[in-house]
Amino acid sequence: MRHLILSCLGWYALTGLGLAQGQLPGPAQGGTAGDYKSSTAEGAADRLFNVNSDSVDLENGTMQWKGATMNLGNTRTVRARFERYLAAPTDNGDMKRYVAILDQIQFLLSPQSLTKDNYYRNQQEAFNLLFKAAEFEFDADGCLTIASQVQKAWRMGNEYKNIEVTLNQLEILRKAQESVIINRADRVEEANAERMQGKDGKLISKGSTGTTELGYKVKDEARTQAQMLAQGAKLTTIGLKAKLEFQSQMVAFLMARRYRHTLVTSAFYRVVFNASNQDVVVGAKEVKEFFPVSDFVPTLESVDLLAREAIKDVGKGMQTVDDLAKQEELYGAFERLQETFFLGEFEPPVMLYPQEKKRQMLALWKDLRELQRLGDERDLASVEAYVNKVRGQARDFPGAPVLSKVSNAMNASNMSLLAAKAAALAGDNAKAETALERATKIWPQNPGVKEFANQVVSRQDTLALKIPEFDRLMAEAKWREIFNKKLEYALALAQDKERSEKLRKVVNRVGELDANIQKASMLAAQNNPYLAWDVIVEAYKTESDDLVLAKTRSDIAPLVAGYAQLIGRAEKLEKEGAEAAALAAWLAAQDLNPASPACGAAVKRLAHSVAASAVISPAGVVPAPPAADDIPAPPSK
Amino acid sequence: MSKINPLFFALGIPVVVIVILVTIVVPRMGGGGRFAGLTPFSVEAYRRDWGTLQGNSYRLECQVEQQLAFVEGSGRVLAVKPIGKDSVGRIPVFIPAGSADSFEVGQRFKCKLRVTRDLLVVEALERF
Repeated sequence: MRHLILSCLGWYALTGLGLAQGQLPGPAQGGTAGDYKSSTAEGAADRLFNVNSDSVDLENGTMQWKGATMNLGNTRTVRARFERYLAAPTDNGDMKRYVAILDQIQFLLSPQSLTKDNYYRNQQEAFNLLFKAAEFEFDADGCLTIASQVQKAWRMGNEYKNIEVTLNQLEILRKAQESVIINRADRVEEANAERMQGKDGKLISKGSTGTTELGYKVKDEARTQAQMLAQGAKLTTIGLKAKLEFQSQMVAFLMARRYRHTLVTSAFYRVVFNASNQDVVVGAKEVKEFFPVSDFVPTLESVDLLAREAIKDVGKGMQTVDDLAKQEELYGAFERLQETFFLGEFEPPVMLYPQEKKRQMLALWKDLRELQRLGDERDLASVEAYVNKVRGQARDFPGAPVLSKVSNAMNASNMSLLAAKAAALAGDNAKAETALERATKIWPQNPGVKEFANQVVSRQDTLALKIPEFDRLMAEAKWREIFNKKLEYALALAQDKERSEKLRKVVNRVGELDANIQKASMLAAQNNPYLAWDVIVEAYKTESDDLVLAKTRSDIAPLVAGYAQLIGRAEKLEKEGAEAAALAAWLAAQDLNPASPACGAAVKRLAHSVAASAVISPAGVVPAPPAADDIPAPPSK
Repeated sequence: MSKINPLFFALGIPVVVIVILVTIVVPRMGGGGRFAGLTPFSVEAYRRDWGTLQGNSYRLECQVEQQLAFVEGSGRVLAVKPIGKDSVGRIPVFIPAGSADSFEVGQRFKCKLRVTRDLLVVEALERF
């Protein structure tokens, strides 16, 4: 998304420059110019934890603007500067008047106001206004720098004129010397001709008088020419130096994001230098970096346009900040303020942002930094609390994706911890160590890790104590006590297969007993105490020592006193051999609890036994009763 | 024309009917039937202490509830419900194999019970 937005802005600027290489992207491809807001909360969360994707990259101290990277300085400096801006009191001053002065300077130097008559007067007037502008605090003496640069250019102009005068004088001298040389040469030639002709007109001899002087005169002329060349070179150097210094200052202002000073410098440059020097030579490489287009040629106009675009973007950015803050979308406002600050921190709208609003942003900034720190340190438990705190300040803060990631990380850590525990129980120490390391890496402060570590440390001690204790309880058939400590024994006996098997049986046994107790309790609660008693009686046959069963039995017994008494008597009679009487008792019990499987089974069993064992003659003669010794003692009354 | 006085018929027939009724119904209303001479069986006493009833014969009026067991050559065990004010549930009685009677659920009969050890043996019975 960030790339799309910046791409749109970059294309917009390029189109304005007439350098666009393609068409404007449609609305679906990005937001409108000046609307920096991200469209998804996910993107915002990513930016929070991934500084590389920010428009303002605080980690590298750079800022993406119009498709290019601005270098803001090192990380700490960038953070400190923004924090200092939020914490510092707002600058006082008449911003409108300051801006008006700068605009007046530009107007005085603009082509529409400059004429032959006022050419120098306007320059001087604009120059004077520079000192007035420098009186404002937020100018930071930038105008004084421009003034000194202009003054230097003017001084160089004077020097240039002096050199031109010198050059003209040298030219006059050179021409005089040249005429002297010609004159001397003519005279020498005439003298030689007279000497060579006799009276009859014949050649007498050859001679060369006056050549020495001529040689000196030629040397003088050559020296003069050399001086002229030197002066010419000096002239060129001075002109180039003045131009380069001016351009350097202009680009320096642009790089420092002092856009209004850039515009003023540019305006002065236009009038101080002639039209043949309008290409930006110094700093062209830096300016080119603003536009990653291969055939881009930096000019004064392109520098101007960059500065004006930046000023416009800053103004629109601050409007967006205000609008978002009014809608209580503080997080969005904060993001826009941060971007706008780094784009134009020296722009008046940024510098005059109200202090109380900056304080609000500062509190949010600190919380966001703390949240990021917690995320970096993977203090996941604290992240949730901080997300809620930030949400309290900025309702538009995209906390859900953050919390989702935190939850996922916690789950992953806990899963690894479980794997470590399982591996440790299985005796695979290497795997356990790897899983524990993974769990710790994901969530270093996972409380389960510490707990697990303590368990591992104390395991050897536990083993030494638990095994004898387990053996003793097994010998004493205290199943319930073993069951109550089943997890401890499971850990301690994990490597002992024989004891583990015993433990498993005990756990199953008590588990089944507990299920029966639970069933009896449920039946009793459903107003069916007789069936509940049946369950209890059945369980009691094998688990008569179990305290929980005994307690349940005593709880239910009062509800089924008659029934229990009948069953008790029936069992006693049966043991004594009085099967018919026992059968009568079972029938009486069954009358109370017709659905009882125990009663049904007992009745069936005893009836068959009585029928089979009754020795009665077919004639109905009753056999003699057994001897008195065989008669079992009847139940006491 | 009959020489018997019609008045004789008018008074004789009702008298005969009344006599017959008295002969048949009154003994039944008395509850004993042919076992009227026996002591009624006390279920409570049996359940409480069957030892004190050993060897005794009692009269029991009951209704068949269920046949609990049947052993060829030995007999059958019935669960019967005593009829009376103090009916307190079912008791098992033993019908020896020699009995030619058939027993269906719901049948009512009077019987003579003998307490043999703890076993209630039906020695004789009549339906009603």
